[in-house]
Amino acid sequence: MNTQTSANAQPAHAHSSPGLWIMAWRRLRSDRLAMAALAVVALFLVTLLLSALGLVAKHWDAEVGVNYAPPTFMGAQSAEERGVEGMHAAEAPVPDNPRDPLGPVLKQLRAERDAAAAAGTGGGDAPLDYYGIVDPLAKEIAELRSTLGKDKAAAPVRRATLPFGADKWGHDIILKTIKGSETSITVGLAAALLATVLGTLFGALAGYYGKWTDDFFNWFYSVFTSIPYLLLILAVAAVLQQKGVLTIVLILGLTGWTGVFRLVRAEYIKHKNREYVMAADAIGASDMRKMFVHIFPNISHISFVQMSILTVAFIKSEVILSFLGFGVPVGVASWGSMLNEAQNELILGKWWQLTAASVAMAVLVTAFSLFTDALRDALDPKLK
Amino acid sequence: MNVPAASLRRLHQSCRALAWGAWGILLAALAGMPAQAGAAADPNKVLHVAFEAPDDGFDPARTVNLYSGWVNEAIFERLLTYDYLARPAKLTPMTTEAMPEVADGGKTFTFHIKKGIYFTPDPAFKGQRRELTAQDYVYTIKRLMDPVIRAPSANMVSGKIVGLDALAERAKQTGKFDYDAPVAGLETPDRYTLRIRLNHPDYNFLYATAYHSLGAVAREVIEAYGQQSGAHPVGTGPYMLREYVPRSKIVLVANPDYRGYVWDFKSSGNAWDEQLVRDMQGKQMPQVGRVEISIIEEEQSRWLAFQGGQLDYDKLPQSAAPVVMDGAKLKPEFTRQGVSLYRVTEPEITYTLFNLRDPVVGGYTPEKIALRRAMAMSYNTKEEIALIRKNQAVKAEMLVPAGVVGHDPDYRSSIPYDPDLANRLLDYYGYKRGADGYRNFPDGKALRVDMRREQDSVARQYGELWKRGLDKIGIRLHLTFSNFADNYKASIQCELSSYGGAWFADYPEAENFLQLLYGPNARQGNQSCYQSATYDALYRQFVATPPGPERNRLVIEMNRQFEADTPWTLSSTRYRNWLLRPWVKGFKKHPILLADWPYLDVEKH
Repeated sequence: MNTQTSANAQPAHAHSSPGLWIMAWRRLRSDRLAMAALAVVALFLVTLLLSALGLVAKHWDAEVGVNYAPPTFMGAQSAEERGVEGMHAAEAPVPDNPRDPLGPVLKQLRAERDAAAAAGTGGGDAPLDYYGIVDPLAKEIAELRSTLGKDKAAAPVRRATLPFGADKWGHDIILKTIKGSETSITVGLAAALLATVLGTLFGALAGYYGKWTDDFFNWFYSVFTSIPYLLLILAVAAVLQQKGVLTIVLILGLTGWTGVFRLVRAEYIKHKNREYVMAADAIGASDMRKMFVHIFPNISHISFVQMSILTVAFIKSEVILSFLGFGVPVGVASWGSMLNEAQNELILGKWWQLTAASVAMAVLVTAFSLFTDALRDALDPKLK
Repeated sequence: MNVPAASLRRLHQSCRALAWGAWGILLAALAGMPAQAGAAADPNKVLHVAFEAPDDGFDPARTVNLYSGWVNEAIFERLLTYDYLARPAKLTPMTTEAMPEVADGGKTFTFHIKKGIYFTPDPAFKGQRRELTAQDYVYTIKRLMDPVIRAPSANMVSGKIVGLDALAERAKQTGKFDYDAPVAGLETPDRYTLRIRLNHPDYNFLYATAYHSLGAVAREVIEAYGQQSGAHPVGTGPYMLREYVPRSKIVLVANPDYRGYVWDFKSSGNAWDEQLVRDMQGKQMPQVGRVEISIIEEEQSRWLAFQGGQLDYDKLPQSAAPVVMDGAKLKPEFTRQGVSLYRVTEPEITYTLFNLRDPVVGGYTPEKIALRRAMAMSYNTKEEIALIRKNQAVKAEMLVPAGVVGHDPDYRSSIPYDPDLANRLLDYYGYKRGADGYRNFPDGKALRVDMRREQDSVARQYGELWKRGLDKIGIRLHLTFSNFADNYKASIQCELSSYGGAWFADYPEAENFLQLLYGPNARQGNQSCYQSATYDALYRQFVATPPGPERNRLVIEMNRQFEADTPWTLSSTRYRNWLLRPWVKGFKKHPILLADWPYLDVEKH
């Protein structure tokens, strides 16, 4: 064995030929369209990262504009034009309720607030402690309350216009779109990863073992693909009930693995009888080792390309799910939830939220699709 | 509905026909048969309408779903109904010869049911024509008290009819409701006479007899279909169910066995009524042969369907109001299309209820009331009206809306929108904020409020509004969404922690709203399972008090008790803008009656 190894070994000075990935990268780099698409995708990913780290769009839900503030180039609109004329009328005083068990407490609290306001100590922001306990988190809590509560004292003046307008609550549309990209792209990437892992694993098991294992996975695959895709994801969404990014990832990942499975299974059937696998068998490699150490690297480009295709599909699916009300929970920005909100705004002529979410999604999906096409070409050994 | 006048006219025609020999004999024979007025309905006259939420079946005893009731009113007939044009709403006979005879100081009502009213043929009748009798109403009323059915409208008769509650109580013990057992308060001296005796004088009981849950059902049909009775409605009314795709489509066709009536309602003198009388006076009703109802939950889809001519009339979605309405009028581009507007303030309230049996938001101790009160004080109704309702609503100050007897236009709620005070209240009762800024229970356990809404985009906006308000006071909100029918069923069983609901008047009297919080109605209409001895005592006193200042005072007291315990957060009362295509004739939205179709005509277009 040592002799044979020695005979097959490359001389140290020999020119090493580039591997599959290096050659693929070279081909990819020579494709200007692919590089432009990659740059756009990278830009989105960097934005996502910055958003996730809280470096941008951290306060996307701050109400910085007036309700339905138009984009700056359109100019400010009156409250009547924005349809909110009755909203800022002063609160009428409320009568006392003699039946109220909380009446004396509320009276006391009102008096304390009035006294604090008169003394200029901020009133609404002052944390009260009725138990004589010094709260070590008082400062942090005051800050959190300011963030969560947007108390009157801390409320900034709302702007009449914003560069790309505001939604009905006055959230900046640009920041909301950036925050939405974090959700939508994260969902797309994570769900695609889950679907690819499942599809690859099932495909490997079915293709490698064949016989009843193959029959079982094929039956499983047939059941999944016989149900209309959208109905399947809506059914899973209805069963899971719990809303959230993780839920959407699970919905899409658990329903989206079939395409990967079909391709990977075929590759494993093709590869399992090849000489290098038989050689591995001869040296006593286990089934798992043959499947995932020997065969997988040779078919991994398929999984990789499939994953990028799925990412695009799942970003769109998240948008559809959120649009239909099965997506992210209330209070979480995503492009789908923005489109969901925008459907009623469009009747009112408030087009900016719809435009922002649509354009962001269209640009990313187009760039990702172009990049995926180029990647597939670059990794296809037949196109060398 | 002026049915006696129609019958006399037909009788007169029959007498004249008798004098004309063989043809006369034939006509007389036809006149002797029940009128086939359903044949007057033209099958080519089709109304296309939409419901904004799905029904939950058409068994009158099993539902108070507004949309089920809408259909049930067209299929099942009650003893009494309302005059179509009269405002305020006025009761008139439906299947009775006249208004009931009242005796014993308002405790005994005797109804004389018209002869010759027949149920729609059904296999359950085994080929026999089945006439409506007084016993059908006895059976219908008894069903509302059957513990197995858990009728959500049991409050209409519960505690009111002599001997009926005792029968229901026996059924709870034996597990079987004895429909054959006599009830002292439900007598049928003859086939067509129904005598109802009440335990106490009830000034609203006649309204109950006009409610769709008291539409007559045939015992044979209910027993034949059992649990499926909701999908097999068989009544005596002007329409019958032809096609039913749950949560998607309902098709009604004119009942050929319906006796019919002549449109002869009196104008109240305004221009709208005058036009209605000009369009409809003297017509044999119903005119419309087929009603196609689509369930379209999304506002925008419904609006597009109306604009695209797929609906003949519809409620204007609130989101479209700013582009369609100019104040309270239609914009010229819509009037140019021949679209007309009927605008009305709904006799309804919208609210978010809290389940008083829920471990998070329920309870009656001060800190539990403080939690609910703080939540109520964090909800910005002005924003709701401006941003979600598009200014097509007014704030609901009290449980009884405008247009309903007992409403006080000067009443103001004692619960303000004041998130700052709400924060102080929660601080006071020890709901301390954790490191994430959200509050915990006074014992340190995490506090999270679950709320259910519908799935449409407007309901999502309500969720957002609640979340913004609760964030301001540091309460974590967990929203879930499901369809209206499922939500309603769950809420009526007090299975939801909190839920956004609305109540539309079943009859124009405060009791219909106040009973929603009466303790014994828990799980049968009282969706909060609110149990307050004080409120219940006031309610009983209110029911026994004749209309007048004292009764109105009790309404105020009950509202203040309601605010004190805060089982709900009241929101708003909506304006409804009904848009009509020019070929729809006879439309005037009644404040109580739901089904308009028996009163309408559709011109060729």
